[in-house]
Amino acid sequence: MRRLLFVVLLCAAVLLFASVEDSIVQVGRTLEKNGINEVRYAVWGTGDPNSVLRVLGIVEAARRINDIWAKNNINVKVIIRETRYELDFTQMYQEFLSKQPLGTAGDFLVNSYVYIAPLAEEGYLLDLTPYLEKHKELLDDFFASHIEVAKYKGRIYGLPQDTEARPFYIRKDIAAKVGLDLHGLDQKVLKGEFTWFDVYEWAKKTVQLGASQWGLIHRRGSAHPDLMQFILAFGSKLYDPADGKLVFDKEAIYKWLTIEWVFAREKLLPSDMMAWDWAKQVHPAIVDGKTLFDIGGTWYWTEWQTKDYYTDPKTGQMRGLKPEEVEQWFYYTLFPAGEPGKKPVTLSQPFMWMVSSKAGAQNPKYSALKSTYDELAFLIVAKASDPEINAIHSIISAHLPVGKASAALLANKEWLDKLYNLQIDLDPSVKEKIAGIVKATVNPINAKFLSDVSYMLDHTNFPPIHPMYAKLAAIFAEVVDYVLRGQMDPAKAIDYAIGKINADLDLKASVKIINEIPKDWRFAGK
Amino acid sequence: MSLGDVEVRSKSRQIFYSIILIAFSVPVIMAFSMLVLSSFANQMVTNFDFSKVRFTLKNWQLLFQGRIAITGGLRENIFLYLISTAIVALGVAIVTTLVGTLSGYAISRIRFKGRKFVLLMMLMLHALPGSILIVGVYFLYRLWMPTSLNALRYFSFFYVIIARAALEVPLSVWLMKGFFDLLPWEIEWSALVDGASRLKTWAKIMMPLIKPGVVAILIFGFLAGWQDIIYVRTFLIDKTLATFIESNLEAEMAYMPLLAAAATLYLLPTIFFYISSQKLLFKVYAGGIRR
Repeated sequence: MRRLLFVVLLCAAVLLFASVEDSIVQVGRTLEKNGINEVRYAVWGTGDPNSVLRVLGIVEAARRINDIWAKNNINVKVIIRETRYELDFTQMYQEFLSKQPLGTAGDFLVNSYVYIAPLAEEGYLLDLTPYLEKHKELLDDFFASHIEVAKYKGRIYGLPQDTEARPFYIRKDIAAKVGLDLHGLDQKVLKGEFTWFDVYEWAKKTVQLGASQWGLIHRRGSAHPDLMQFILAFGSKLYDPADGKLVFDKEAIYKWLTIEWVFAREKLLPSDMMAWDWAKQVHPAIVDGKTLFDIGGTWYWTEWQTKDYYTDPKTGQMRGLKPEEVEQWFYYTLFPAGEPGKKPVTLSQPFMWMVSSKAGAQNPKYSALKSTYDELAFLIVAKASDPEINAIHSIISAHLPVGKASAALLANKEWLDKLYNLQIDLDPSVKEKIAGIVKATVNPINAKFLSDVSYMLDHTNFPPIHPMYAKLAAIFAEVVDYVLRGQMDPAKAIDYAIGKINADLDLKASVKIINEIPKDWRFAGK
Repeated sequence: MSLGDVEVRSKSRQIFYSIILIAFSVPVIMAFSMLVLSSFANQMVTNFDFSKVRFTLKNWQLLFQGRIAITGGLRENIFLYLISTAIVALGVAIVTTLVGTLSGYAISRIRFKGRKFVLLMMLMLHALPGSILIVGVYFLYRLWMPTSLNALRYFSFFYVIIARAALEVPLSVWLMKGFFDLLPWEIEWSALVDGASRLKTWAKIMMPLIKPGVVAILIFGFLAGWQDIIYVRTFLIDKTLATFIESNLEAEMAYMPLLAAAATLYLLPTIFFYISSQKLLFKVYAGGIRR
């Protein structure tokens, strides 16, 4: 049955790209007719080191387009003149923002969907809507919710490149020590029967029994959305589309901050958590079994395997975990509901292929052939969305696939074996660059993990695409730090946050403050 | 010489002052030491707990291989970044020195209308931070930039050098004017009387006499170009060491010991220049020039 489904999906994919292929041939002929034999583009990408296919996907797409042209005797070649990859999303966005008007930014940008709004507003992105109307079948493969967040003012400015969920990880060995039964726990979480009230009880028991040093670890940082899940888990929202305003829900935020306050006061969560170093403290604490619970992301799964975070007790040396160890030690569920009666959540920040509105500007006869260069840029992005490229990216970076066909490939053991042995039709330079990551990450355990967590996308939320959101998130991060360190109690922290919002007139105008601090709400008897 | 001068202070007092100065320097020295140690360690050295620190050359190896991550990933060409940084630094040094020495000489020797005003304006320009001027500089760049990418690449180097040097020129002109003021007219007169042109007098007679000053502004210009981040980030197409470090530093998942190695590499010319030119710079500031 699964094989049949795979064949059907592959046939669908072949059909799907046949029409894209026609457009590729047409564009190639137009370029050749105009005497253009070489077209150059640059791609800029960003993210964790395992996600290099965010730029190499474009290199591979260019090779596939060149092959199509060669097959049709079209003497034109796409050359990716620059591949640039940086770790920091914001830095790359800012660099794009300043260099796009000069025409020196990348022709393709791979970054978080949140940057679509400001870049589209400035006119820096190519509107992909007309091309997607021409290739409607391309859209069908993507999850609809991810296309929605690629829209700005009703127009589509990006194609989803990957997505993720933020599982709530539980150490299986520590859970066993304290008697937490993990059998069917994900279902209990799903039904809202295991909430943050239960998380607290088990964390407390674990620390009291000395089964681990901490009950919970989460990330540090500023505007990242991990902690925003608390607001959603208490049934609130971050944005109200009715009036286009950000929402500051005093009740939900009070409950979230109370959890942070209680956990830190009872030493279940480090009070200096917001200052912990990603590689030196956060991950070693998790992989060395110093915490029962951990709020993370799907990408943690391969990061634990590819980075030397674990101190091997036998050798005393730091090393990456083996896939079997990750599977043996970590259980994962949705982010539990805040309290009984509420629902579990997760949160995604899909990455997007975006095309500069000046794509191909460095090529000959640009003003005369702008529409052809634009269309070719779109076709490169469409080709970079080939299920195979997307599936490879998913497994080596532990992000979730954005299309149904790529999800089907991940479930195909035969294909995984081929990928492990690099018997996949890929550009040699791409193969060479991903070889090390492939060996470290491509295995059935990791594929099963991705398949297991895919259901979380049905419960996902997206941080609002609002220009003021980053400012509000930074205030949240600030007050969480104060609460964790005990410098402010949750109620005072809310007053402080409101004071900061009101002090910034733009922010004040963009944020709607709703509800009140609940007087009769108790968490853990506090 | 007044009694308060260092030379006549008692030895115990000198030791006392030295201890205070060292105490104030400790945080800075510690910060740099930790950075250098981190570049040779498997993790960042942020305190004195060395129990988990393992010293290794791997970070330097990764850096020169251009790898920003331990496993896989795209490779960065660090040598190219080093060359770009050096081109900008040398360019700024040469332009600053050339304009500074020529203008300093002219302002010192020639009484022309508006001379005082020019001097005051230059002082004011120096007081303005480069980040304020960048908006105007950005629009000028847009006006003149060529359309071809290759030409634009060279232009961006040229523009960064000129724009960054413009910020250094006021100080260098003032400094050089001071040096030329100290040289007696008679030396120059005799050269002119012997038939040398103004330019020849400047090059053959005056310049050798103010060598410490020239070297000083050359060094300051080099360091200004080497350290610049705002202008290179805004205009330069190629990356420099500063923009490479900056673009990866903020990321939560950055492999910091590797960036510590990059930062140490970035520090080397600065340390080298300060050590090698310490005596020379002391001559310039403490006693003007020796003749």
